[in-house]
Amino acid sequence: MYRVILYSQWKWSRLIVLLGTITGFALPIISLQGAAGADRNPLAAQELLRAVQSWGTLYPVLATTLGLLAAIATWAPDHRGRHIHALSLPLPRWRYVLLRFAAGVTVLVGPIVAVLLGAVLATALATIPPGLQGYPLALALRFALALLVAYAVFFAVSAGTTRTAGIILGVIAAVIVVQIVAGVANVELDLWGKLALVILNWPGPLAVFTGRWMLVDV
Amino acid sequence: MCNLRTPLFLLLLSSALSAQDSVLARLHRRADSLAREWRQANAIADLADSLEHGRAVAGRDTIAVGALRIVANPSPLPLREAAARAWPVIDTFYGTAAQDLEQRAYIIRAIDPDTTVPRARLHVGMEVPWNMTEESLVLLLISNVPVAPPDAALQEWLGGSVRPSVGALRDRAGVYVQLVTAPSQAARSCFQGRLDSCALALGLAKAPTLEAWYPSAAERRSLVMTAFTDYFDHGATVAAYRSCAAGSDSACTGLLRSLPQGTLPRPLGADARVTLVHLVLRLGGREAYRRLLAGRDVPIGARLAAAAGVSQDSLLARWREEIIAARPSAVALPPWGFLFALGWVAIFAGCGLRSSRWRLG
Repeated sequence: MYRVILYSQWKWSRLIVLLGTITGFALPIISLQGAAGADRNPLAAQELLRAVQSWGTLYPVLATTLGLLAAIATWAPDHRGRHIHALSLPLPRWRYVLLRFAAGVTVLVGPIVAVLLGAVLATALATIPPGLQGYPLALALRFALALLVAYAVFFAVSAGTTRTAGIILGVIAAVIVVQIVAGVANVELDLWGKLALVILNWPGPLAVFTGRWMLVDV
Repeated sequence: MCNLRTPLFLLLLSSALSAQDSVLARLHRRADSLAREWRQANAIADLADSLEHGRAVAGRDTIAVGALRIVANPSPLPLREAAARAWPVIDTFYGTAAQDLEQRAYIIRAIDPDTTVPRARLHVGMEVPWNMTEESLVLLLISNVPVAPPDAALQEWLGGSVRPSVGALRDRAGVYVQLVTAPSQAARSCFQGRLDSCALALGLAKAPTLEAWYPSAAERRSLVMTAFTDYFDHGATVAAYRSCAAGSDSACTGLLRSLPQGTLPRPLGADARVTLVHLVLRLGGREAYRRLLAGRDVPIGARLAAAAGVSQDSLLARWREEIIAARPSAVALPPWGFLFALGWVAIFAGCGLRSSRWRLG
């Protein structure tokens, strides 16, 4: 059953996965291209770090985009067919969802491996000034985790009903409204800031996306 | 005709010399007058400082902890507790010289952080909101020790007074980053183990010059392009700046030579020199600070070595080891970050499992 679901998942998301794989492989190589070329002044370490840091912002963007598109691709055909195919299968619902999730994770291995290979190749070919080091494994691991978290979040949202999506959006809107009203009433209430702190700092769910994504660092 | 020329020339020369003499005398008089004005201004400034100091300490309480003296207005600030925590740090840092602080009190004015009532301006001491925590007060006391400023040579080299650090490891980590990223061959060679380069990068070499600090054309160009873009990229220097940007070393060198004396940045920043002084005080024991201040006429490197009680090379080797040992950890996931991220993946996947989409009826 898993192989059948994996095949259908691959059919639905192969374009996304291929594009993600190519981008994931190219990103580390482009980020070190020029900045760490052999003809580059070895004293320009600051410029190299700046370039790596600027390019580094694209890794979480790529992870989020891939996670979102893969999660949409996972559920879109079921939504279109009003889940008749899924309901006709001799499977309990939880097992079907789990198989879908696992199939989605499996096809995302491609971009993760591509980032790892690209990062290893880029650091091996670059002229890194003394005192700086390449971190291809750490970067690829972080990308993998960010991609899995993004996929899981969007998978959960896509698996839900319109009502569930409405509830989530309603909660976010309520927080914004409360924050605005508190500001107008001159009440010291930083709900948005506190929420961001909880979500974006460890052990928050989106903490893996924050911080510096450095392929080369001290 | 020839006979007439000589007396005419002598006449002109004498009138020019007498004119020059009068110009010199006039300039002398103006210089003397300016010196008189400067002395008067200084006397007035001293008087104002004295009056301001008197105004600042009038009607205040004095808190004494060890040799620390804090003059402050009555407030809920936990000054005594903070001073009790700050004193051991200060005493360890300055050694016997810490006793001199009995004569140099902190002046603190605790203020209400919420009031909008305008208060009299105070030009002496520190204004501190009275809800400041004890922890913050301890840091404030440690980083603002009212120590007497050192002699001009040490102050110029260090960029200020010698004060304890509130984050020694963080400071050393910052210097590590400087050591590996500064656009300077001296800094890079120091990182790779050359102690003479460390001395050069720290500004301890006997006759530091532009070529000694930045020996290669690439370094000089990088310095102009990174540190002095705003300074040179306009007005009369713009042509030379563009030429330097295009790769002309003579233009870059000319621009750097045109900088006012003492403004050429050393390869490593003041933080690096501060960490060296802190090491000196740790190595030299309780008399180290006094020894450091004593040798005013000796070059800075020798003063530091004498204060530390070791040779300059040993001192630099030790400093380099400490800086390299403080290498900041690269930005990566915390050790448990992996588990937390997988935990969140499991939680969100679980949310997907519990979707209500298939509920019938």
